[in-house]
Amino acid sequence: MKESVNNCEEELEALKKEYEEFVYIVSHDIKTPMRAIINITTWIEDDLGSNVDQDILDNFSLLKNRVGRLENMMNALLEISRVSRTNMELYEVNIPKLINDCVEMLDNKSNVEFHMTYHLKEEKCITLGKKLEKVVFSLLDNAIRFHDKEMKNVIIEVSENETDYLISISDDGPGIPEEVQDKIFAIFYTVNSKDVVDTTGAGLTVSNRILKMVGGTLEYVPAIDKGSVFKFNWPKVIRI
Amino acid sequence: MLVDNNKIDVVSTRDAFSKLGIGTTLHFAESESEAWSLLQGDNKISPTPKIILIDINENGLSGIDLLHKIRETPDLKSILVFVITNTDNDENKVAALNLNIAGYIRKPIESESNIDFFSILNDYWNIIEFTSEKK
Amino acid sequence: MTNRLVNILLVEDDEVDVMNVKRAFAKNNIQNPLFVAGNGVEALEMLNNSIVPLPRIIILDINMPKMNGIEFLRLMREDDKFKNISVFVMTTSNEDSDKIDAYNLNVAGYILKPLSFEKFLSSVATLKNFWQLCEM
Repeated sequence: MKESVNNCEEELEALKKEYEEFVYIVSHDIKTPMRAIINITTWIEDDLGSNVDQDILDNFSLLKNRVGRLENMMNALLEISRVSRTNMELYEVNIPKLINDCVEMLDNKSNVEFHMTYHLKEEKCITLGKKLEKVVFSLLDNAIRFHDKEMKNVIIEVSENETDYLISISDDGPGIPEEVQDKIFAIFYTVNSKDVVDTTGAGLTVSNRILKMVGGTLEYVPAIDKGSVFKFNWPKVIRI
Repeated sequence: MLVDNNKIDVVSTRDAFSKLGIGTTLHFAESESEAWSLLQGDNKISPTPKIILIDINENGLSGIDLLHKIRETPDLKSILVFVITNTDNDENKVAALNLNIAGYIRKPIESESNIDFFSILNDYWNIIEFTSEKK
Repeated sequence: MTNRLVNILLVEDDEVDVMNVKRAFAKNNIQNPLFVAGNGVEALEMLNNSIVPLPRIIILDINMPKMNGIEFLRLMREDDKFKNISVFVMTTSNEDSDKIDAYNLNVAGYILKPLSFEKFLSSVATLKNFWQLCEM
């Protein structure tokens, strides 16, 4: 009995190693030809000079845009595979400050009003700060990126119970159609065509993975008057 | 971290960093021994700096010494070291280059060129990757 | 670097990446003599047998057949003759382990190859400025 447990563990170790090597190879070996495609395109464009049909230039930029997407998807895959391997430091964070930092990092926040409410006895906690930051950032980024109105409101609420922090991020954007609500956590899934909003469609997948790892759950609730609400609980104590 | 015994240089470096908006934490050490105590001794700073600028003047021995010690210490050997100097001393130069420094750089004389100087360095720091936590 | 143009050795196995560096050098008006080795073994041979004039700068890829960049660097650092060469890693590998290995072997910089040529051009321009600042 004991022997078979040992065998299993060894096998698991071997599989893990194989998987990590696989990811490493994928990341490097596929990126090289990908970069070559983009580079050569740029050279041809460059060598053609300025006297070129607009059609050709448009096609070149489409080509580069699509390879760019390919790279983003590649990076997203890598990120997902690394969720439990990188940025695993436990350190003290101040929750309101962490959320403010996330807001600072957003690059498209003009015309957005943020409303924060905190019901916390203690603002500081020791946790996987980088992971929490990643989840909050992805949700905020989504709230703004997919917003369809000129003036946008984003509401952030944080409270706590005995065991968890409860964080909810809502917006007054278009919301998510009921029929696709169960698909949004799938990788590379986007509600609109990627030509409408150029995005990779990996933010929710990564966030979901992180929450599974720390023992929380991420859920989507339609807001009462359109818009989206994403809620998650983040355990106060995380065992790695 | 900047190791420099000249107050004016320290001030002008600080000035250049703030003008260029370089947001890194900057530690100063006035002497090699102070630098050592910040790196490895009683006043050890955490995290260990990723970049050290050492000013080596005419009497460059102690700077080279410090560099030696850094390279021989496993925790420190991966630090990126730039040597800044205002003297022509080939011996120091050869010694420093042999210790795998990232660059042996002549100190700018005027304060305007000081800004250019740090802006080039900063551009360079921005294109290179550091291990996990940036700078 | 002042007025004298130092030799540069590029250790890179991908043909397009070599062309890329050459093109970026030309665009940035970098006129230093550039020599190319396809992997670590070839590069060591070139250095040991003085097939190329001793370079002051090496641009090094990490993932290469036969001998990868880190192995090459380790062997090169053991030889006193090559101690003073500045090595710049230029790679697609964003692995922390590669960065740690490279910095432990005292590279002057670890640069990720960007996807677009425009970004690569600006990285090379920055490198050029930095090289001009340094004395070698």
